[in-house]
Amino acid sequence: MEKGLVALAAAIAIAIPALATAWAQSRIGSAGAGAVAEKPELSGIVIILVAIPETMVILGFVIAYLILF
Amino acid sequence: MIKVMSKIQIIGPKGLLDEVIQVLHNTGIVHIESVPSRISLEESYVTRMPVEKEKAVLRERLDRIFERLKGIYLLLPPQAEAASGYRPGLGEVFVVADITSDEFLREIAELEKEIKGLHAEKAELSDELSSIARYERILKGIAPLVAKLKGANNFETIGITIDRAKEDIIPLLEDEISRITEGRYQFFVKDIDRDIIGVVITYPRQYDEKIKTLISTEAISEIKLPQRYAAMTLFDALRDMVSRREEVPHRVRDIDNSLKRFSEEWHKRLETLMGLVRDTIDELKALTYCAHTRFAFVITGWIPKDKYYALEKAIKDRFSDRVMVHEIAIREDEIDLIPVYIKNPGILRPFEVFLNVLPPPKYTSIDPTPYIALFFPTFFGLILGDAGYGIIIFAVSLYLKRRFKGREFVSNLASVFIISSLFAVVFGILFGEFFGDLGERLGLIHPLLFDRIKALQVFLILAVGIGVGHIALGLMLAIVNYAHRGKTRMAMAKASTLLLILAMVAILTVLAGYLPRGLITPGTIVALAAFVALILLEGVLGPLEALKTVGNILSYARIMAIGTASVVLASVANKLGGLAGSMFFGILIAGLIHTINLFLGILGPTIHSLRLHYVEFFSKFYETGGRKYEPFKKTGK
Repeated sequence: MEKGLVALAAAIAIAIPALATAWAQSRIGSAGAGAVAEKPELSGIVIILVAIPETMVILGFVIAYLILF
Repeated sequence: MIKVMSKIQIIGPKGLLDEVIQVLHNTGIVHIESVPSRISLEESYVTRMPVEKEKAVLRERLDRIFERLKGIYLLLPPQAEAASGYRPGLGEVFVVADITSDEFLREIAELEKEIKGLHAEKAELSDELSSIARYERILKGIAPLVAKLKGANNFETIGITIDRAKEDIIPLLEDEISRITEGRYQFFVKDIDRDIIGVVITYPRQYDEKIKTLISTEAISEIKLPQRYAAMTLFDALRDMVSRREEVPHRVRDIDNSLKRFSEEWHKRLETLMGLVRDTIDELKALTYCAHTRFAFVITGWIPKDKYYALEKAIKDRFSDRVMVHEIAIREDEIDLIPVYIKNPGILRPFEVFLNVLPPPKYTSIDPTPYIALFFPTFFGLILGDAGYGIIIFAVSLYLKRRFKGREFVSNLASVFIISSLFAVVFGILFGEFFGDLGERLGLIHPLLFDRIKALQVFLILAVGIGVGHIALGLMLAIVNYAHRGKTRMAMAKASTLLLILAMVAILTVLAGYLPRGLITPGTIVALAAFVALILLEGVLGPLEALKTVGNILSYARIMAIGTASVVLASVANKLGGLAGSMFFGILIAGLIHTINLFLGILGPTIHSLRLHYVEFFSKFYETGGRKYEPFKKTGK
């Protein structure tokens, strides 16, 4: 039982930040696509902006790892 | 590195201004500064140089000529260097007077007319081809019906198309036509495709008006032929379309060949002419940046310090003592206006490509290129960490570098990946990875450092440890830079952040049992002192900034996370390949998954390594807001 709860906690620790990251990236991505259509020279910055929210899921991953091991 | 710049002033008699501008243009090292409007208020004897009327007219004329040449140039098919028939001979050196002469403009006008004419004809032919393709299907469908009616001179034939969804109206339409023509008609129906039914109706000419009205009021689409065929009967139109379908591509090929011939003769020549016109426009524009007194002109500008003597020599050789160049002191309020010129040694230069997406750094900031050149390949190698993938990326990058030699951006990017892929090979050997665990399965290599799938904790600690080092380096660069510029308070704030971070890392290391417990007290004291110093120096925001830095360090865990994902996917490819049963399907499945992983293995490590630089590392020391050094140099060929 306890093992199952630990696994569930780890899953939640990574799943919620992953959803949050996906939501943030969807917003940034659509805005970025619009910006790139207007100014193609912004594509480099847009790629970086899209990658920024990934910190959330990386931190979630670290927490999940700490929970499991 | 950011080159040290000198502010210079060139003073000489007004009569020599045009020649001086030409010399500056040829040397191509001076970033000419526009005369600020306030200069006329501060120093009444120096004013902004007015533009002579004839030069303004010439500039306008050249602007128009440039646009015209560019228009023709863009209409010509591009010409490969070797294929061009044009070689500028000794007798063909253009000067501006040639370009603005009436004779030349007449020649250009004729060329423009011919080339535009060819393009217009080509566009017309391609429209015709596409309309033939559109109508042909319909016309071919009803051709057999029309053929039957050929020779009926007093009869009118029309073709209509009806959507299959409205199929029900066909009998109603026939009834109505029968009523109008009192039974003197022929009505043919033929399926053209899944959606369209073709109908051909033949009737005595006297009923034409009534039937056309019926068709238009019932909103049935009569087959309207393109303009060229409008006057023809359906049968003649079809016959003509079939023959045109054969002729048009031949004519298009002829036009293409003519354009190619024009291109061989004119493409390179137009490039040269455009270069000359653009350079002359630039020279005329540069005149407006100058200041003057009653007898002298004054040009102010910036040059890299190490080029000062070259400029002085060029001016002296040409004008002796009649024109003077001297270096002037840079005022405190001008420091942020100094143009930024970044130049690195050959091996580092390709990495400058990553700075192009950011605004230029301030003159007083730091050029991060050398650090990117070291850390980008390292992070890339650590994340990808596979000798097999590394070798493939190395080979592809090498090919791209050779293939796109002339294209600076692609060539630089290829150079970056050549270096980065070598790091991936090295880390692949250290981690014992060759297409995932394939190398180990075949007994080719074994992990020398650690196995990334098994030693997750070690890899995580390594990644975060690299983060601590990288961020500490960023903070140290900021400290040195602020101290160098005399901004002691800022330097101390950054030093406090660095101390706080290092103390926290030390405490965590002690708690994890990697350092002796005796270090916990000094570590805590240092952390508290740094915390207090941060509040004193930067207020409440100071500790918050330090907290953000902790987040930045943890963000380096992505090196381990994405690296592990990559190696797991590679191992999955090998496992699934092994389960396939036959060797052929095994290789096919494994190859497919490895290809996907290789693609992800280029994209992921690149984006994440860049992100670690742009967001985590640069935020510690990189200050944007600089002005790019744009020397006044010739662009023409």
